[in-house]
Amino acid sequence: MSGANFDDRERAALRALLDTLVPPGADGRMPGAGELGLAETIEEKLGALRPLVGRGLAELDERARARGGESFAALAPDERAAVVAEHSAGDPAFVPGLLFQAYVHYYQHDRVVAALGLEPRPPHPLGYALAQPDLDALLAPVRAGPKRYREA
Amino acid sequence: MAEEVVDVLVIGAGAAGAAFAWSLADTRMRIVCLEQGDWMNPLDYPSTRTSWDGERFGAFGLSPNGRGRREDYPVNDRESPIQVSNFNAVGGSTILYAAHFPRFHPSDFRVRSLDSVALDWPIDYATLAPWYDVNARMMGVAGLAGDPAYPPKEPPLPPVPLGVLGETLARGFNRLGWHWWPSDSAIATREHAGRAPCINLGPCLLGCAQGAKGSTDVTYWPAAIRAGVELRTHCRVREITVDARGMADGVIYYDAEGRERRQRAEIVVLACNGVGTPRLLLHSRSAAFPDGLANRSGLVGKNLMFHPYGMVTGIFPEPLEGYKGPTGCCIISQEFYETDASRGFLRGYSFEMVRGMGPVSTALLAMTTGRVDWGAGHHAAYQEMWDRTAGMVVICEDLPEECNTVTLDPELVDADGIPAPRITYRLSENSQRMLAHGVARGRDVLEAAGAVDTFTDAPLRPAGWHLMGTARMGTDPETSVVNDWGRCHDVKNLFIVDGSVFVTSAAVNPTNTIQALALHSADAIKRNLANLFD
Repeated sequence: MSGANFDDRERAALRALLDTLVPPGADGRMPGAGELGLAETIEEKLGALRPLVGRGLAELDERARARGGESFAALAPDERAAVVAEHSAGDPAFVPGLLFQAYVHYYQHDRVVAALGLEPRPPHPLGYALAQPDLDALLAPVRAGPKRYREA
Repeated sequence: MAEEVVDVLVIGAGAAGAAFAWSLADTRMRIVCLEQGDWMNPLDYPSTRTSWDGERFGAFGLSPNGRGRREDYPVNDRESPIQVSNFNAVGGSTILYAAHFPRFHPSDFRVRSLDSVALDWPIDYATLAPWYDVNARMMGVAGLAGDPAYPPKEPPLPPVPLGVLGETLARGFNRLGWHWWPSDSAIATREHAGRAPCINLGPCLLGCAQGAKGSTDVTYWPAAIRAGVELRTHCRVREITVDARGMADGVIYYDAEGRERRQRAEIVVLACNGVGTPRLLLHSRSAAFPDGLANRSGLVGKNLMFHPYGMVTGIFPEPLEGYKGPTGCCIISQEFYETDASRGFLRGYSFEMVRGMGPVSTALLAMTTGRVDWGAGHHAAYQEMWDRTAGMVVICEDLPEECNTVTLDPELVDADGIPAPRITYRLSENSQRMLAHGVARGRDVLEAAGAVDTFTDAPLRPAGWHLMGTARMGTDPETSVVNDWGRCHDVKNLFIVDGSVFVTSAAVNPTNTIQALALHSADAIKRNLANLFD
């Protein structure tokens, strides 16, 4: 049962759930959320919600056992997805709440940022180059148009 | 020891208070500014960290109710479809603003005469034009001369780069034959007055670590302090006090340790924005002013105007580099700015292009709009959105209505126990029709620019950046709170220099006009020093 911290079983379920929500990409370019060590980061951010999430993870394990599995983490990826979908039908808030945290931490992880084609660095201090098109040419039709304000 | 009496006490160190204090420093009067926030350290802004994109949902979020900062005050905005998005620090809301810096149109000051709605202002565009010019130099405005939507003006710095996203949308406007122009932006596009040039970090709404964005902590305040103005931080004013003659004689405030303090002054100047100013006036009750200070008209806190925003987002087939470059400063369109009654509403709106979507915000937008689900199809769906979204906002002119108000909440208080403001607001039918028109035309632009899909969000709840109208200016004390240079009709040594004094809201970001008005007020005080209280 959930206390101050998740136990090993809950952490395994959370890692498996993260990999179910954001699985590894089919072409191997994008990592799965579970393999990035996000479970520990997200656990720290849950605060008062930890018992609630712990209950949700326990329910995933129960549903996995009802299907004959040892635990949610031990199921095959397709079966995990089916269990999460089944659980979401009865508890529509559980997955979106966790998904918010998963996306925030997944999409700022260096490996993911690099896989998206960006340099894994903060914007400052290097910044970015940005092109200025030929404004004279682009604005020619606007300049040729009428005055757009009223005298008052 | 006798209490010190300063000549001028300014409350609030944001856009207006900074410009006003800097201008009045010419007089060599003893000027003190009290600010409830602190100086910000640009190196603490999120763009210095890889977690920047996720931090917009936490300590750097838009609403003061979600940030958890002691310097902010809570706002009860449950009875409003638009939430207040202000910030308290030296620089005020300019710390987190986009720095989109358009002027009002001449017609914005003649709304009643031209369109038979609301009221005319007691001043006109020509009155403010020289102060817009001063403000452009002080804030460092980038832009391009020749915009047919305005009388001639010369921005001192070259325009912000359009990038792929801006050029794509500009071509969409051109295909429709509609107006657009590079935005006037308070962003140093080259070195300006000691400020480093913009390097296109992206998240301007999270503070500018480069110092290129014109927030008043890096523009007016250094100059004002050099000129002798004293700025005290962590000083939250509880009330303005009056003497036996009904003149303002100072304030009671709480210092950083929560101790009650008093500061006496010959002149008191309010620069706390369109919510903070009526809050403080309504909380400054006395026998002479039982309904709140300077409120004999009953209009303090009434006629609150936001700008109702609509967000229109398009998904494009090619990358747009939308994570680069100033968030809200790219191009503007005022095709539908001036009144055309055949559209089904009076007055008009602007379009502004939006960028700055990083990987996290793209994922969360995808989630909240139901466009990308979890599971096996996640990556393929995400790739269709990543760096392929371009947004534009519709900024509608809001007209004043007495039913839209700022009052004192009977229960909610700030960290010092001062009652919080409560917002009661609804969109008028005119605003709703205008917003619907703008959202539909926004889709037209995005489709003309090549978007393969579009989606919208209107009214945009977090978009309560522009707070106006709650202590409006005018010549008649029965129908206005201050005169044409910000002096309260009821208390002649009390001035208001923020967005509260707006008579109408126009359809552009108000900061440039707020500051031009503050400079105009300071100039009027300087010219009228000999008979200031007559």
